[in-house]
Amino acid sequence: MTGRAEANNAAQPGATLSQTERQLYALLADLLIPNAEGMPAASEVDVPTRWIDEALRFRPDLAAPLKRALGLARGQQPADVLAWINGNDPEAFEALGTLTAGAYFLDPRTRTLVGYPGQVAVPIRDDIDTYLEMLASVAERGEIYRKTPN
Amino acid sequence: MTRVTRDATPADLPSVADVLVVGAGASGSVAAAELARKGFRVVCLEQGGWTLPESFTGDKPEWELTKQKDWHPNPNVRANPWDYPIDTSDSDVNPLMYNGVGGSTILYTSHWLRMPPSDFRVRTLDGVADDWPIAYDDLASYYDRMDHQIGTSGLDGDPAFPSRQPYPLPPLPIGKLGRRAATGMDRLGWHWWPGPTAIPSRAYGHRPACARFGTCATGCPQGAKASTDLTHWPNAFEAGAQLVTQARVKEVAVNAKGLATGVVYLDRDGVEHHQKASLVILAANGVGTPRLLLNSTSHRFPDGLANSSGLVGKRLMMHPFAAVTGTYDEDLESWLGPAGQAIMSMQYYETDVSRGFVRGAKWSVMPTGGPLGIRAGFSGRPVEEEWGPAFHQNVKANLGRSFEWGIIAEDLPDEANQVVLDPTLTDADGIPAPKIVYKSSDNTTKLIDWHVERVHQAHEAAGAIKTATTKLLRDCGWHLLGTARMGNDRSTSVVNQWCRAHDVPNLYVIDGSVFVTSSGLNPTATITAIALRCVDHLVAERRNQQVAP
Repeated sequence: MTGRAEANNAAQPGATLSQTERQLYALLADLLIPNAEGMPAASEVDVPTRWIDEALRFRPDLAAPLKRALGLARGQQPADVLAWINGNDPEAFEALGTLTAGAYFLDPRTRTLVGYPGQVAVPIRDDIDTYLEMLASVAERGEIYRKTPN
Repeated sequence: MTRVTRDATPADLPSVADVLVVGAGASGSVAAAELARKGFRVVCLEQGGWTLPESFTGDKPEWELTKQKDWHPNPNVRANPWDYPIDTSDSDVNPLMYNGVGGSTILYTSHWLRMPPSDFRVRTLDGVADDWPIAYDDLASYYDRMDHQIGTSGLDGDPAFPSRQPYPLPPLPIGKLGRRAATGMDRLGWHWWPGPTAIPSRAYGHRPACARFGTCATGCPQGAKASTDLTHWPNAFEAGAQLVTQARVKEVAVNAKGLATGVVYLDRDGVEHHQKASLVILAANGVGTPRLLLNSTSHRFPDGLANSSGLVGKRLMMHPFAAVTGTYDEDLESWLGPAGQAIMSMQYYETDVSRGFVRGAKWSVMPTGGPLGIRAGFSGRPVEEEWGPAFHQNVKANLGRSFEWGIIAEDLPDEANQVVLDPTLTDADGIPAPKIVYKSSDNTTKLIDWHVERVHQAHEAAGAIKTATTKLLRDCGWHLLGTARMGNDRSTSVVNQWCRAHDVPNLYVIDGSVFVTSSGLNPTATITAIALRCVDHLVAERRNQQVAP
């Protein structure tokens, strides 16, 4: 016994994609998250070139299933490739989706576009006065807990 | 915020501790602090380490990615070196927990609720399960004390509970989503109330006020939430308690007279130690405690320690959880905290047999978080419903515009639902790991079906434009209860009403294992109140306490 490792809740060095894998991943990422509904495609906000590496740094456990997904995608027609991966290896597809969506929202531009400020500190403001009138009717209806012998 | 992390090494410990506590989670922290304050030499062994607020990702862009792995509440997913594996292949529900100083309070969402009087009299009132050997009135003053120790935020006057001492802090904001949900309940004439929460709405002691990150379930980066590493260990250290982290207890040792003499544990380097103690308290949760008792076999106790009733590990209850998410036509800022419960409802908590089942459930309104959503990583929907243009449509429809009514179903005790030792699985130190055998009952299925229908009504009354239902979430076993139940009869219970093992006079169990029935409420307030009551009794009766020579 050489001693136990420290807790793993810190970012680890991430796996990297080869040039070939990255090119294939870029295609898949844009199929998952295309330019639509007024939002940019994954490749338009640097998901395949930058944020996927960040995402893998935070989720090194997903590198192997991502690479499996890329392996399954080789030679498939774009129209069917996502369903093909999902049908053959759901775990690999889950990794592909999780990493891509996570990477997409690492980019501050996408968070701004969807109106999400991220998790930011917001000071507490009491809002009792905004609901007290409604709550008064709950109180007026009286006790609802069951009378119980001790 | 002051962070105190004062670890002892095995060499620092007394040869014989007055009290040895196994586990530095909710109940173990409360007991260690209280006993040290009363002058006892307390040693606590915790299998995990410290988790510092700066390590939480709730205030960082990667939060939603990391919450599905490093901060996942399922130890089998998280697979932290501090965790032990659990075989869940025969269970409908995965047990959830956090192993480390603070225990599962590190990741809980801090619902802080008292069990109403009827929860202690299930057999008398409903003819099922069992009554507790204690009543609400026995715990009321301990609930009050715990409120002040942890700094509960809440609003007085809830008619779903008996009258009580005032909350130490005013309620947290219910926010836009809480008001929207309340509007629906108001239209229906149903009960709702701001959810009492163990998160300070004002600075409290050395903790700052909540900053509404909304990431309570993955750790509080503000250091506001009442996790017991923050609320109890600074005081415990000041009173002289000693804590060894990354110390994994292998078994409770006993002498020929059947008294506990201490424990055998492995330190962070895997070196085995025997720590002697006059008295041993187990606080390792409803899975860890029975695992340890079952692993503590001897000539005198061949079936595991304190197990003459055969009930160690049995009657496991885990609160099956259902949820209905509603989507609305306005911005509800539904990423803002607190993440636990903006408002709650006890409208259908008490039994009404005309519904076709007994017991009930508490409902809670919870925010849905960031763009990946509250159930990120759990979707499994068809490709075309989740990806392509649908990805953007879903984010726009749900982000900030949805909230969840969660339903905590009271499950009744069943001896077939249990924690056993797995015949082959072990932890990293070779100690046999637990296996969970757990099936949700017909009563629970009927209860959930009925409550899901009512919750749909609540969403509709509030104006939801769409709802989505999860009837039984597999990763929902936060509340690990019942596996060393208390009772007056030693043939049908493991510990007495003071949490002392019937079979071993100087061994106590103070975690959720001692619950007789599960209630339909989040149990941490009750677990800690019971622990405090146990300690008070132990101190009062110390001269009569039998100890190993």
